[in-house]
Amino acid sequence: VHYNAALDRTFFALSDPTRRGILERLGRGPATIGELAQPLGLTLNGVKKHVGILEEVDLVVTAKIGRARTCQLGPAQLEDATEWIDEYRRTWQRRLDRFGSYVERKEAGR
Amino acid sequence: MSEDVRVARLVDARPEVVFDAFTGQHGQEAFYREPGWSVQSECDLRVGGLWTVTFVGPARSERFRHDHAFRVIDRPRRLVVDTTESRPDGSVVEFQIEFIFEARGGKTLLTMIQRGLPTAELRDEHRAGVPDAFARLEQAIEESSLPRQGDPG
Repeated sequence: VHYNAALDRTFFALSDPTRRGILERLGRGPATIGELAQPLGLTLNGVKKHVGILEEVDLVVTAKIGRARTCQLGPAQLEDATEWIDEYRRTWQRRLDRFGSYVERKEAGR
Repeated sequence: MSEDVRVARLVDARPEVVFDAFTGQHGQEAFYREPGWSVQSECDLRVGGLWTVTFVGPARSERFRHDHAFRVIDRPRRLVVDTTESRPDGSVVEFQIEFIFEARGGKTLLTMIQRGLPTAELRDEHRAGVPDAFARLEQAIEESSLPRQGDPG
């Protein structure tokens, strides 16, 4: 397997539910550190640490505007928007495959 | 109504077996359960009856529900349902799903066709946020057995 350190860091950044929550929130538009902290029940420093990890892999970019630091989704786009239907189809194909495997295991055990 | 999505799987079992498993709790769990997800299915298998499937992700906020209203039940050949998908952000997507169970020499070709997807809206949503891509990456993480990390410290 080709070792890809950048991909590992991206996977690490995404492996935490809080950071995924931050990305989902930013998917709806930019937000300040304070605006991210409140609904997640985190301290400002806690959010800063998570945002820093996301920023390292370009999933998030931040900019200081006045006294507040504003965050938004970064350039590391994981999926070309035009490919959305392929992703959607793969989701349903996985469902059919899992179900098919379940039936076959059940039949094999009869 | 135009056909938006078609996927298929050849299943090594007779159509009656596949059809009955598909409408049962365990079959639906297998169908909807991504790693780390929980699934609850309640099926009132009659025309006009409602088949409700709730699937909840590892993050409590990832809660989806499919309400399938049966339009056609032709055991063991075909099911047609009108589906309402309720999403974690409170939005609702409606479309129709046809499941076809075709006998293929002791096996079953199970085909799923979706029609009436609000494709423009879904495409815009996909552009605005990337939760599905993240969900897929999360699965890739689990499959690659990389360590899962909590608070960075």
